[in-house]
Amino acid sequence: MEKLILIKYGELTTKKENINLFLHTLKENIQFKLKEEKVEIKYDKGRMFIKGLKDNYDQVLLKLKEIFGIHEIVVGYELKSLNLEDIKKEVFSLLKDKDFTTFKVETKRSNKSIEKTSIEISSEIGAFLLKNKKGIRVDVHNPSLTIYIEIRTNGSYIYFETEPGLGGYPVGTLGKGILMLSGGIDSPVAGYMTIKRGVKLEALYFESPPHTSLEAKNKVIALAKILSKYNNDIKLHIINFTEIQEAIYKNIPHEYLITIMRRMMYRIAQIIANKSNAKILVNGESIGQVASQTLTSMKTINEVVNLPVIRPVACFDKLEIIEIAKKIATYETSILPFEDCCTIFVPDHPVINPDSKLCEEYEKCIPYKDLIYTAIKNHEILKITENDKKNFEELL
Amino acid sequence: MIYLDYSATTPISFDVLDSYNKASKDFFANPNSLHGLGVKARELINSATKQISELFGVNETEIFYTSGATESNNLALIGTVFANQKRGNHIIVSKLEHPSIYGICSYLEKLGFEISYVNHTEDGLVDFEDLRQKMRSTTILVSICAVNSELGVRQPIKSIRQIIKKENPNVIFHSDMTQALGKISINLKDVDLASFSIHKIYGPKGIGILYKNVAVKMTPIIYGSNKENLIPGTPAVPLIAAAAKAIRLGIQDLDRKETFIRKLNERIVEELSLQPDILINSTKYAIPHILNISLLNIRPETFIHAMEEYEIYLGTNTACSSGEISSSVMALYDDKKRASTTIRISLSYLTTTEEITRFLNCFQIVYKRLNSLMED
Repeated sequence: MEKLILIKYGELTTKKENINLFLHTLKENIQFKLKEEKVEIKYDKGRMFIKGLKDNYDQVLLKLKEIFGIHEIVVGYELKSLNLEDIKKEVFSLLKDKDFTTFKVETKRSNKSIEKTSIEISSEIGAFLLKNKKGIRVDVHNPSLTIYIEIRTNGSYIYFETEPGLGGYPVGTLGKGILMLSGGIDSPVAGYMTIKRGVKLEALYFESPPHTSLEAKNKVIALAKILSKYNNDIKLHIINFTEIQEAIYKNIPHEYLITIMRRMMYRIAQIIANKSNAKILVNGESIGQVASQTLTSMKTINEVVNLPVIRPVACFDKLEIIEIAKKIATYETSILPFEDCCTIFVPDHPVINPDSKLCEEYEKCIPYKDLIYTAIKNHEILKITENDKKNFEELL
Repeated sequence: MIYLDYSATTPISFDVLDSYNKASKDFFANPNSLHGLGVKARELINSATKQISELFGVNETEIFYTSGATESNNLALIGTVFANQKRGNHIIVSKLEHPSIYGICSYLEKLGFEISYVNHTEDGLVDFEDLRQKMRSTTILVSICAVNSELGVRQPIKSIRQIIKKENPNVIFHSDMTQALGKISINLKDVDLASFSIHKIYGPKGIGILYKNVAVKMTPIIYGSNKENLIPGTPAVPLIAAAAKAIRLGIQDLDRKETFIRKLNERIVEELSLQPDILINSTKYAIPHILNISLLNIRPETFIHAMEEYEIYLGTNTACSSGEISSSVMALYDDKKRASTTIRISLSYLTTTEEITRFLNCFQIVYKRLNSLMED
């Protein structure tokens, strides 16, 4: 009998055509996450099996809970035999010293070559336990212990508890997207939700030194690092936005500052997306939250790109967004008080119903195509990994 | 040179000194400055703190940098009792503390705090029953060092915590872990407050650490621009970087180092025990790094200077109270002669067997000469 981890897939089992891509990607993602452990991962259409672990199950479970595409995680025991007598013995040896009062047995039999039905197997194992262990009884409605038996082609599996996985699709199976990551509360949450649906993200941040500080940039790097846990590393594009932003400030009526700035950001995001072969843009806009997020603003800003713009938190209340931000531990970083380029140069009365035609007229006042070209040519790319090589390694 | 006074201080390790130098040169900016250089220096501190907190298994916000263990002890005791004096005015300490604890206690006594000194067994362990009995409803803090600096006696910190918390879970438990860090494994989950000194673990002088559990209320004892700040002033960036490195290196391979040191210790004990007028003061609960003996007929100062002629350096009781009688030996044996003739031999993983051979040879020569002088 060997101890191992079983992974149950969630929604992806409905993807009949692509199932191999999904499973293969999930396996690779798990391998990536557990690259410091020496594990062996095998899978079939129903389960993935992780073997070769030492005593570090807790640590591995925590890591598995950061991988999308996993419905349930189970620490169980594999038995090479399909023989019911062997299964009984092993169940008993696992339970003889365990404290419980009531139990039930649930059997799944994907190997139909076994003669007995699942119900018959359950009741035989239950009877064996009742006979050999004192002080226990069966309770099928509210047992203190549920014994799960799975009889598959390659062996039998015994386990007692299941832990929920994150759900969603394995990251990468749905292609790539560009996340506009500002440093606020909303965009990391939007990123997390998009990764959940199998989209591998690259993040894009606009810095405006000297108006924004190194600390603001570090904050975004810290947020990207949190997202990288779910994304198998993350590429962070950093655009120096100073020249564009100053040009806007000098040449454009201030009520339109934010609208035009956002249009520039969208244009840049689309260029980066095309270069990275990303199919969507993702951001943390939420309907009505600020002037640039009214429906008219969204329309006017959205017009400058033709890629789909996914706004996962568009219909969430701020408190709902904060709840997720806390859950994924981006909140504490997001609320650090450093100015980002959306909070500097804020006009007193930003337009809430910006006019597209006017935007186009105003934009003629600045050589934005050249400025964008230069900004992209000089842009910085950081590869952010979860286990980032420690800062100051040789010093500390 | 044979240095056998490692519990007084240690030579700084080359790697740690290198970090100190690099940090001084490359991260000289004030970490409180807004500019990029300041931010870099702040990041270095943050990374150092993260590393230290991970090595200690605590939260980053629970690590504070002081000038050394004495300052950590001051903050731990004074800062805590000031912040918690509504709950009472009673403090319990052991009779085997570092002298700095007694200095702080006598200051607190003048302010109206009451101090109880808990008894210990004949082997130097805190007497659990006496501790239980000395606990009062007004007790706010108990301070017991993890390893005594003179005798090396190691206290069962976990059990002591259990006793304290069972009597009264609100009582705050502080431990001076200066002589424990880098010698034995420590668990900060066992205490609410702990003091450390970096120069005892092959780091630079001038930096210590206070661990403060997040739940412990503490008032500053030094004030600066921000009155919330427990340790005001410009952080000592190079010292902090060096501390992080010294701790990382210092807690590696503790078991292997201890086994080696124990062998050296046993060899010394075996040979010195043969002399009728030499008493071994360290008990069976002492860590092997510290070996305390009394040379009944010889003044310790004389002996230390005589050994110095052979370039061998030993300690008397603790370097912090040289010249006085050893309070720990007095507490344990209640024998003034024994307590006034102590020599402390403190060993390191850097000590070699050859050094111990030469030390023992020289010891015999010096001992014979001085002992016969005294007998005459």
